[in-house]
Amino acid sequence: MNWKNVAHLIRVDMKSGRLIRGQRLTRYRESRLFTYLLYGGALAVGLAAGAIAGFVYNTVSVTADPQLRALFQQGVLNLFLSLPTLVLIFSLVFTMMQQIQRSGVKFSVQAPYWLPITWEEHTLASILANLFGFPIILIVFISSAIIVLSVFMGQIAYAVLTSFALLASAFMASAITEIFRILQVRFIGAVYKSSGRAAVWVRFVGSLLFFIVFYIVYFLITSGTGAIALVQTVASAQGAVWFVPFVWLGMILSSFTNGLFPQALVFMALSFLFISSLFYAAVILNRRFGLYEPPAITISRGIYAPRTGLLGKLGFSTVEVALIRKDLKAFTRRRELMFIFVLPIVLIIVPLMQSLGATGQPMPIQASLFLFALVFLMPSALMVTIMGSMMIGEEGEAVWRIYSSPISAENFVKSKYSFIVFFSILVTAATGVVGVAFFHPSVRAIIIGLTESILLVFALGAVSLANGIRGADFTELPRPRMIRVEWSFINMIACFLTAIAILIPLIPYASTSILFSSTQSAIALYQGVIISVVIAVVVTFVAYKLALKNARELLAKAEA
Amino acid sequence: MWLHMTVNYTSAVELKGVFKWYSEILAVDNVDLNVKPGEIFGLLGPNGSGKSTTLKMLLGLVQPDGGSVNALGINVQEDAVAVKRQVGYVPESPRLYEFLTGIEYLDFIGDIYGMKTEEKRARINEYLKALELEGREGDMISSYSQGMKQKVALISAFLHRPKLLILDEPLSGLDPRSARIVKDLLHKLKAQGVTTLMSTHVLEIAQALCDRIAIMYRGKLLALGTMDELRQRASMPGSGLEDIFLKLTGTGDIRAVVEELLK
Repeated sequence: MNWKNVAHLIRVDMKSGRLIRGQRLTRYRESRLFTYLLYGGALAVGLAAGAIAGFVYNTVSVTADPQLRALFQQGVLNLFLSLPTLVLIFSLVFTMMQQIQRSGVKFSVQAPYWLPITWEEHTLASILANLFGFPIILIVFISSAIIVLSVFMGQIAYAVLTSFALLASAFMASAITEIFRILQVRFIGAVYKSSGRAAVWVRFVGSLLFFIVFYIVYFLITSGTGAIALVQTVASAQGAVWFVPFVWLGMILSSFTNGLFPQALVFMALSFLFISSLFYAAVILNRRFGLYEPPAITISRGIYAPRTGLLGKLGFSTVEVALIRKDLKAFTRRRELMFIFVLPIVLIIVPLMQSLGATGQPMPIQASLFLFALVFLMPSALMVTIMGSMMIGEEGEAVWRIYSSPISAENFVKSKYSFIVFFSILVTAATGVVGVAFFHPSVRAIIIGLTESILLVFALGAVSLANGIRGADFTELPRPRMIRVEWSFINMIACFLTAIAILIPLIPYASTSILFSSTQSAIALYQGVIISVVIAVVVTFVAYKLALKNARELLAKAEA
Repeated sequence: MWLHMTVNYTSAVELKGVFKWYSEILAVDNVDLNVKPGEIFGLLGPNGSGKSTTLKMLLGLVQPDGGSVNALGINVQEDAVAVKRQVGYVPESPRLYEFLTGIEYLDFIGDIYGMKTEEKRARINEYLKALELEGREGDMISSYSQGMKQKVALISAFLHRPKLLILDEPLSGLDPRSARIVKDLLHKLKAQGVTTLMSTHVLEIAQALCDRIAIMYRGKLLALGTMDELRQRASMPGSGLEDIFLKLTGTGDIRAVVEELLK
């Protein structure tokens, strides 16, 4: 193993990671001050947290009764015992998240494959590079906290051992992610090959399911109540599943605490063997499949489509229909665009799961109405905001085709706008059905919810499209950017303000009926809706005109 | 068929006193150019000499900072869409929609140019067969080799029977058979009145294919004419285009560079 090669590869891998996250690097040697500040901050916060916990322990020791002190000590030790497994779970989720971020990358850096570098060096560098960032910050924080706390509790050796176990856990998580990454490429290739013409739909549905499940797990374990439930589960269940290799690091600590030193040594040896076997499994898989090229996806359907079809009857020209069809294929085939379908679903499922699972009792009507409004309005509003902003930049470097073709600004804006509005209204319909099924609102609430949701879709669609054209970023490497960061920010603010402006006429009615359960006259409500419609129509009209103006400028200044 | 085209303009391409700045760099410097209808015109020059910028200005993809640009009798700055409707364009490194299949991409192009379904189908089939893409047309473009992508880009330029072809390095990455087909096709199209303006670094192609050649260097047109006229201009009778090019662009003294590299 050439350790210099490993160190160089780690630097390259980390640099590509930063590029993928969107940082623009202009120099080979860059300032790492911010990174060091993060590690330093984690250390400082960890030390402070440990000192506070130690102070609490001392106070309890001096003042409280022995039973409380024993309880406190036992609680802390239980937390220590479960830390390696918890770090393993969190590191696994975050290193997987890094891999997901990289799934939209247009190309991989293949130079290491033809340079004189062994697969062991390549694999080790990849595993270690994954650890930098959140996993290391987490370990620095926890280690510093428990070492300081252990000084107060007289458990320094135990704390140091725990810190090493945490490092080993993070390495284990990263090695598992590396194995997952290689297998995923191979597995996906095999699925595409066997599914033939259905490969596109298999990929679409498979990716959606994977992302939805992953993000739900991610949000659940990173939310406050979810994390606490996880700690409790791990602490109580670890001993019962001692034969599972992933808890062996925790078992070392458990054996050590109970004075079972031979057992601690056995688990230590087993952990070492398990981590080594994970590493060598990753090396073997990399050697076998590292250079694997997934097979081409063959789709023979959809050729020689009629010039306009149904959309033509709705008043769309041939050019507009061609653009809409092309965008439909882009959103169902490009993995980096699929998240648009995932985000609204996850953002609704997670609060629904948490709110419905929290009490097990029927919700009060006010909470039920609020959640219904949230489910009805949020997903499509969020979807149209994000979709509109990236609708132009998603053309990527192939945008020369738009520039060099006889496409007018009117064709361009109409097709893009229709596409996002159509999709977002479909989402409104779907979430409306979910909302009605879960919360059983009145017919009036359904009609108002539907109206407001559609108004939001039309208005936010026009606003976000105008911003998306103005801030379009066609950079594709290392991953598609679609919109410049500052314009993404501006778009979020503009859409938020637009949504507030449209919904504000209904707020007096909604707040009194939700907060005070008052049944105001329907006239107040209908007045609010009419004002809301007027605001939405004006905003849509102005924003659409702005989008047209921006599109004319874009098409006339292709060089920019 | 492209036959019997009505031509009601005297120049297929006309640039008058065109300038283009990119920040401090003068990319195109007072260029006057006149390409006749039905001509195959070659634009040569070292990297960064302003060829691609000149070609892009003809489609309105780059706005000139001075002068006028006319294509097919239309002022490009005034009505770029009308020009684009009649032009087939292949950029230097064509990025295609990789999530589409080859046939879906060509279908999309046919619709963009308003082709009728039957005509579109027939012409796509003809080109796929001629350029040996049959059998791979249903695969996503992301799995195509560079040469296959270039073929798709070329077909998309020819598909709608344009009156003017603007081709930036059109034969880049093509296998010999396909390159030959494209060259023969350009000759046939010339006979039918189609004008071709192409840039290339392969001087043999320019010499064999082009009626007239312009050599650009640092944004300026150094020389323009037929092969014989260029030889006269360079005072190099009997020479090939490579020697003329190296002499005119002042990049001929390459022996010292090679010697230095071999040290």
